[in-house]
Amino acid sequence: MPRWGMVIDLDKCVGCQACSTACKAENNVPYGSPDDQRMRRDIYWNKVIAATSGKYPRVNTELIPMPCMHCDHAPCVTVCPAKATYRREDGIIVQDFRKCIGCKYCIVACPYGARSFNSREQKEEEYHRPDLPPDRNVWGQWAFPTRTHGVVEKCTFCFHRIDQGIKEGKKIGKEVVPACVEDCPAEARKFGDLDDINSEVSRLLSSRGWIRLREELDTKCKVYYLPK
Amino acid sequence: MGLAYSKIDGKSREFYLLLILFSIFTLVGFICFMVSYISGHHVLGSSSIIPWGMPITITIYLIGLSAGSLILSALTYVFGKEEYRPIARLAVYLAIILIFGAMIGIALDLGRPEKSWRLFMFFVLNNMRSMFALNGILYGGYFLIGVIYLGAIFAEKVKFIKMMGKIAIGWAALVHMGTGAIFGFIATRPIFFSPIKPFEFLSAAMVSGLALLIIAVVATFKFTKRNLNQELIFSLSRLLRILIIVLTVMVLIDKLTHLYSPHRDPTIWLFTGPYSWIFWGLQVGFAYILPMIILFHPQYGKNLKWVMVASFLVVIGIFGERFSLVIPGTAYPMPFYPGKIEGIWGTAGSFPITPVESFMSLGMFTLMGLLFLVGLKNLELLPVDQSGQQTPEPAKT
Repeated sequence: MPRWGMVIDLDKCVGCQACSTACKAENNVPYGSPDDQRMRRDIYWNKVIAATSGKYPRVNTELIPMPCMHCDHAPCVTVCPAKATYRREDGIIVQDFRKCIGCKYCIVACPYGARSFNSREQKEEEYHRPDLPPDRNVWGQWAFPTRTHGVVEKCTFCFHRIDQGIKEGKKIGKEVVPACVEDCPAEARKFGDLDDINSEVSRLLSSRGWIRLREELDTKCKVYYLPK
Repeated sequence: MGLAYSKIDGKSREFYLLLILFSIFTLVGFICFMVSYISGHHVLGSSSIIPWGMPITITIYLIGLSAGSLILSALTYVFGKEEYRPIARLAVYLAIILIFGAMIGIALDLGRPEKSWRLFMFFVLNNMRSMFALNGILYGGYFLIGVIYLGAIFAEKVKFIKMMGKIAIGWAALVHMGTGAIFGFIATRPIFFSPIKPFEFLSAAMVSGLALLIIAVVATFKFTKRNLNQELIFSLSRLLRILIIVLTVMVLIDKLTHLYSPHRDPTIWLFTGPYSWIFWGLQVGFAYILPMIILFHPQYGKNLKWVMVASFLVVIGIFGERFSLVIPGTAYPMPFYPGKIEGIWGTAGSFPITPVESFMSLGMFTLMGLLFLVGLKNLELLPVDQSGQQTPEPAKT
């Protein structure tokens, strides 16, 4: 069984937010409004934060794209009372809207702010496209569920692409990647199997020093950063 | 000491006026809940940065009041302190309606309240590693134990009461510690994260439960024109003093450890930021300092009116304590990366008080007020007034 992970090269990232946009389009995440943004109610599956250190003129700004870290020891999975968020065998943490009761405990527990609460019924024009009808043969999570308010959402590593790719016998990490990896103009993001020593992510991790965010919490997350 | 209990008449104008007033506010609260349910939680103050708002604050507050008052009832039925017997039944009844209100509060906070049955599918659909799921067992069990306990008291089965009382206190302590654990086990949120949280919750529960009980007893005896033994209230207020000291020490240790590294910024922000007035004013001022001054004062501490004032301050102050835990606890931005995080990801969240949320919260309280009134009218909770030279048939319990 593979263990999917992502490597983000901070040296290459230009902070263009293409990943955030690609994510919204691919996963049909509502655009959000300025009012939502002000109230911190807009939904982000992927965000890019800027961290500055130093004082002008000796200042350094680092841009850090942050999808869900898909931790191996995920605090959100531990706290979810309804088993709505769970770890798949391939290491992806998914959030099943049909089981989610909306208690928001996972938002409290997540150390990366990766989770958003859908707090209102969005209008049609706030989406990239209308929701696709759900595949009712699937018992697990639907890739494009009809959205409801009152549940918590987060990045899924585009598991629908991966599942589809495996079914079609394609090479995951080369031919099939999550939308944010595909759309990155600087090719800063790489996706692949962390347990496969021949994958590009393994090669990158062995060739350079890497960091993971908030390592002190021992979440063992699967998104690695290559620092500048 | 033999004691007989009775219902209240409940025919006075004031009683009906209160009943109607509470019903109206409960209805308004219910409508507000339906608005938030249908149109989404954007009508409430909570957001992705402050996920828990007033309903959760009120819930943990009510759980606190509930277990506190249940533990006090056990003073009579388990430890045999006869002086508290006149209020013991009332305390048990109050505990039941408060935990009921708390469970309603949790349901109001859920984004999908129609799925709240999933919280009670223990070991089947639930993740039992979650403190929330464990607390489902604790709250549900607590409600059942409370009802059986009250039933036993009405049936006057002495041995059974004693047994149920023992179970009830143990369980009440567990309910509290469990509630504290919901917060205390979250390593991500420095203000929450503390092994002392369960014990802090337990002592806060005792303090607020006792203060509420003093208010409820004095008010009920006054409105129903029963004669109150003042010494009873003073012995309760002496107990309150000790409990406030215990709570203050707990909170002091908790906050002091949080002022040491790592992650001291959120606590410093709590002390100096926009919510500092709730912490210093309501929590420290109303719940700890002012009541202690009053209760330790040689004259005010012996005056029923001042004891009432102190109890009121405590009840409001503990609410402030809950608020200053739940809301600022998640508001401070998390340190995703070394350095100063720019933009919205690096700014603390704000919690607007919205009308829908306020009326919903008020509705929760009035619902419990309503249940309290109905209980007084239909159940034999209050002792028969002995000053009126009645010769009530002595009860066995």
